Amino acid sequence: MIDRREFLKMAACLSASFGITQLPGIVQAALKKIDPAGVPRLIYLQGQSCTGCSISLLQAESPNAVSMITQYSKLSFHADLSATSGKQALNLIEEYISGRAGEYFLAVEGSIPWGMPEACVIGDKPFADYLTAAAKTMSGAIAVGTCATHGGIPAAEGNLTDAVSLKEFYKRKKIDPLLIDIPGCSVHPDWVWKTIIHLVQVGLPELIDGQPKLFFSRRVHELCPRYHDFQQEIFARKLGDKGCLFKLGCLGPETYADCPTRWWNGGQTWCIDANAPCIGCASPLFAAKKNFPFYTSFTPGAVEFTPSAVDTSKGKE
Amino acid sequence: MKVDIGPVTRLEGHLSIHTTVENNVITKAESLGEMFRGFEVFLRGRDPLDAQQITQRICGVCPYAHAIASSYAQENAYNLVVPANGRILHNLIQGANHLFDYLLHFYQLSALDFVDVTAILTYNGPDAEVTALRDWVKAETGAKSPFPAAPFLPRLSGRYMSDAKTNITALKHYIESLEIQKKANKASAIFGGKFPHATAIFPGGCTQEPNIDHISSYRSLISDVRDFIHKKYLPDILAVAGEFPEYWHIGQSRGGFLSFGLLPFGPELDSNRLFAPGVLLENTITRVNFDAIREDVKYSKYSSPSGLTVKEGELTPSPHKPGAYSWVKAPRYQGKVMEVGPAARILVDYHQNNNPKIKQLVDQFAGIAGITADNLNSVLGRHLCRAISAVVIADFLLEETERIDIQAPFMARYDIPESGEGFGATEASRGALLHYIKISDYKIEKYECVVPTTWNCSPRDDQDQPGALETALVGTRVENPEEQIEANRIVHSFDPCLACAVH
Repeated sequence: MIDRREFLKMAACLSASFGITQLPGIVQAALKKIDPAGVPRLIYLQGQSCTGCSISLLQAESPNAVSMITQYSKLSFHADLSATSGKQALNLIEEYISGRAGEYFLAVEGSIPWGMPEACVIGDKPFADYLTAAAKTMSGAIAVGTCATHGGIPAAEGNLTDAVSLKEFYKRKKIDPLLIDIPGCSVHPDWVWKTIIHLVQVGLPELIDGQPKLFFSRRVHELCPRYHDFQQEIFARKLGDKGCLFKLGCLGPETYADCPTRWWNGGQTWCIDANAPCIGCASPLFAAKKNFPFYTSFTPGAVEFTPSAVDTSKGKE
Repeated sequence: MKVDIGPVTRLEGHLSIHTTVENNVITKAESLGEMFRGFEVFLRGRDPLDAQQITQRICGVCPYAHAIASSYAQENAYNLVVPANGRILHNLIQGANHLFDYLLHFYQLSALDFVDVTAILTYNGPDAEVTALRDWVKAETGAKSPFPAAPFLPRLSGRYMSDAKTNITALKHYIESLEIQKKANKASAIFGGKFPHATAIFPGGCTQEPNIDHISSYRSLISDVRDFIHKKYLPDILAVAGEFPEYWHIGQSRGGFLSFGLLPFGPELDSNRLFAPGVLLENTITRVNFDAIREDVKYSKYSSPSGLTVKEGELTPSPHKPGAYSWVKAPRYQGKVMEVGPAARILVDYHQNNNPKIKQLVDQFAGIAGITADNLNSVLGRHLCRAISAVVIADFLLEETERIDIQAPFMARYDIPESGEGFGATEASRGALLHYIKISDYKIEKYECVVPTTWNCSPRDDQDQPGALETALVGTRVENPEEQIEANRIVHSFDPCLACAVH
């Protein structure tokens, strides 16, 4: 564990390598009016994705999506928002990926079909080719959502494309770029946007297993407002019951994310407040195995978890 | 000349269009879906109750439609008796998702085809957000940025709206709609657990109880969305129509119309629906028969047999199959090409006189625009049909909240049966959505989805009949054949979702 001083030093080094020339202190940074000229450009590309993460990013509350796109980042390309299209759009992407248009971060939503490159094509070229080329010129990459961080649903057991995460793709290509993983199916908008603000104003956020510690250091279960119900063994026994959802298969004990304190959709609600078991959408093993269903107790012979089966003592350090 | 206008942006996913242009007229169009994941394969062998979660990930724009279609299919497979509240909550979740989707589609995905973004530079009014955006565009264009004011510029060449005031109003609403769409999504998340990808939707209801706290929040949010629909969304569509009236006659598909019906009035799935199901072919309405749907793959990248029914569906990818140009299959109804989506939904209902409000709104706006109901099969027609759907759905959702009995159950109780099968049919915002599940030994043996954009953006079928979008593009006059803003407007009017179409 590094202390704050070392962290800032490290952040300064890394920030310098991104080309962010001025690095204010954390407090100054929070107060500093952002200089738009210093804000990195963002090229957002989609692989085997459902666009759910992009849609989630539009649900941002404070700052809202318009501020994020124009003030805190410069979203120079996003297939869902860009006015440009066709060859003009390909030219814009090419200008960045070739390095001619200057500094940029790459954001990637979706997995990469390693075993079948034709299963994801942008402008007659496999998506994978863009990633390989970008690795030489980008300041860093942000993997947006569980498909990009761990393969997610397209990589579920039995898939035909050998879908892989961005990290795994670069590993197999023997490339080692700066990567930030932001899991979630979909991501929470804050997790992505505030990581970007951190990059711009402070530098690289502290990462654990490649994920920002700010959001992913503790398990849903530890932070859960129903943890008391768990300790008292007040369990929901059927769908729609209140109480701890553990016996219905809640994966809060396996999932690192701050949903219980952050809530979703501008603080309106979150899964467990709606009595819906956490399905572990930010977990590396999300939906990975056929024999590990989201819910228990609905088919004969289903395993019933017991509280003692879970070590709830500590989060990630 | 052959021109590839892909990748087409401002839609969901990976779509290219290959066109042939002669004398500035599109004479041939091919629609290419360029991303494949294979949901129907990896769903096999999973727990049936995983399905409404996993199929939501087919599409993050309309995940709730997939959750609902999957829930309906499972309800049929489990022979579930659904409590009245359970169905109402399904409706409240799904309906709010439609409202979000219509606003997103008009403002974020389509408006920049018509609205002149550069008009913002002339703004000198009091609105702080518009002023901030103006100053940002000014700073961007002055800063020698490689692509100033991206993502709003550059743009395709062509005619944009000329009136500065109308443009600025539309841009103001572009910004405002981003706040309003969040309200629609907050409303659906109250009962869905979160948006996108709801965790609280299940076959037989949802897990969030409909108490007064939740219902009053929902009503307030939907009322705000309804207000925006009436005061801004509808007038903005009419403003675009005022400057581009030719688009009532551009982009007609040349086949039939199919709708599975949307928002049942009662807990039983065969209850009357707010939008009636039906097939409209040559001015005649017939009942929907799922067995009349077959999926051809002559031009699709699969080596599995062509012409299979939904229950027979197979999926063997073959990326290098000779002659195949798309990952999208070609579904046909009784061998006929079908358009699905807002125009199909409205026309199918209108021709059955199912919902008097729909008939009244269609006649009212046809009168204002000087068109007939037949012109709803057009670029502007599809936009108008979304707005009419929004008006009808918003009113329905507010009424539906009054039908909740807060003392009554809101979730069915059940165990998964050892075997069973069922269809689940509804309307996603983009059109007719069908799920089919077959269960054996408590697991999913087969899962099939026939999804709206599979119909609309399909390639040619075994009889070489082009898909709905392909037919709608042919005959279109394009000023700049290299860029084809006109074709982009047609593509956008279908609101394609390629992640859905291929899945």
